Amino acid sequence: MSSGSPFAIAAFWCQKAGNAVEEYEDAWSVRRVGETAGCRVAIADGATETSYSKIWATLLVESYLRDSVTGPEFFDRLEAARRLWRQRAFRNTRPLPWYAAEKAKQGAFATFLGFELNVAGKVWRAVAIGDSCMFQLDAAKQEMRVVQAFPLSRSTEFGTSPYLVGSNPEGAATVGAHAEVCQGSLRRDDLILFATDALSAWLLRREEDRAPAWKEACESIAEQSDFEVFVQRARDDGMRNDDVTLLRVTFRG
Amino acid sequence: MPYRAEISRKNPGCFLFLVDQSGSMEDPFGGESGRKKADEMATILNKLIHNISLRCAKSDAIYDYFHVGVLGYSEDKSKPALGGSLAGKELVPISELANNPLRIEDRTKKQDDGAGGIVEQSVKFPVWFDPTWSGGTPMCAALKEAQGVIKKWSAEHAKGFPPIVINITDGESSDGDPVADAKALTGLGTDDGPTLLFNVHLSSTAGAPIELPGKPDGLPDQYAKQLFEMSSVLTPFMVGRARELGMAVDETSRGFVFNAQPVQVIQFLDIGTRPAQLR
Repeated sequence: MSSGSPFAIAAFWCQKAGNAVEEYEDAWSVRRVGETAGCRVAIADGATETSYSKIWATLLVESYLRDSVTGPEFFDRLEAARRLWRQRAFRNTRPLPWYAAEKAKQGAFATFLGFELNVAGKVWRAVAIGDSCMFQLDAAKQEMRVVQAFPLSRSTEFGTSPYLVGSNPEGAATVGAHAEVCQGSLRRDDLILFATDALSAWLLRREEDRAPAWKEACESIAEQSDFEVFVQRARDDGMRNDDVTLLRVTFRG
Repeated sequence: MPYRAEISRKNPGCFLFLVDQSGSMEDPFGGESGRKKADEMATILNKLIHNISLRCAKSDAIYDYFHVGVLGYSEDKSKPALGGSLAGKELVPISELANNPLRIEDRTKKQDDGAGGIVEQSVKFPVWFDPTWSGGTPMCAALKEAQGVIKKWSAEHAKGFPPIVINITDGESSDGDPVADAKALTGLGTDDGPTLLFNVHLSSTAGAPIELPGKPDGLPDQYAKQLFEMSSVLTPFMVGRARELGMAVDETSRGFVFNAQPVQVIQFLDIGTRPAQLR
């Protein structure tokens, strides 16, 4: 999405150390919005402890990209995604062992963060449930500065049991009430990062420790191999071992 | 810092259950007539194994995040208590346990229908363990037997999360004071820390359930106080998770419950993100 566009997007991801690549359960997607010369970005993180959560995370980001809403009402419009999840998760017709059948009945769960950027109006709006985060950074100075961290802004706010978006109809009517919304304006030289929980928590901890890693996340990663080195260093520095996704949106004034 | 090792398929955790099968387990539970302590014991153990299996289930498979064993104690000895094809085994991967219950019963469960009513839902209830009782309560022998099992497992998983031993009993040891043997057990462990010993006290005494106390004050009898003394303090992660689950705990809380079902203990270990809605 870089040619002729007012912004460029780079995306990197890797699975939890020790897992196979097929076990990566984050999902992300980006769509250009022609009318506003902007884009819609979505990122979701399927919960490790639920079944078929990669399918659900993927359906959530696809739903957001196809839609045009930008607030909590998005979570009231997931009937089709829930139907598709059931079709895809249960397409296997052979009987499941008791534990697999019971777990699947609990449904899949995922975090979600949807973001729409209006470049023409230089404004953005984001909606989130769970602990996948976005960070608006002021890159004008030598040391990058956080303008906005959303929905979490401190490393201590991350737990292992967040409220998530579920694939089952039970509780669907009240999911939107758990959504957080944030909006802001965009300035020349701003950067926006999107990251799933492990990386988000580590980036915030480094900021709190007065050893920020924003510049490293923005400038040292050009290729997947750079990202893998970056992730390994972060894990060695105490980042939780988990699937990791980083999306970076750079503007051209 | 201890208790930080990641639990994964390559680096599994360990649950060892010690279950009291003595004659006194035939007595009524918690002041209820018609329900034996042995019935409560079987319900607790089946639910715990059920919950561990469900936590480890993923799509159409089950991941071996844990090795699980059951030692029963009665008469004058302790021995492996799993039945069927698992008879005689001390510790098995959770997949082996989940795939080999003694039987799977069809039961009905009452559930909120989401519209203010209650519906009955058919559920599969796997049974690994049936109530049984006879003879004395050789708790010291069980704790000694557990030391052997844990020593061997810990040597094979030196980098692993320390084993968790859960002793379920009516508390009246018949072969001596079990505190020293409990201390010897919690003296064993992995590079990541000492073994954790939790105790579940099933008493004939009626009274409000007590969960994860920090002090022995208010415990109803000497056996409860002794089991409290044997119990490990919860790790900081466990305290945090217990709080997320709405339990009243602090940094002094111990892994001890009196006349309560300790099914939430299974949620005290981290194997990945778990939705708040599934508490």
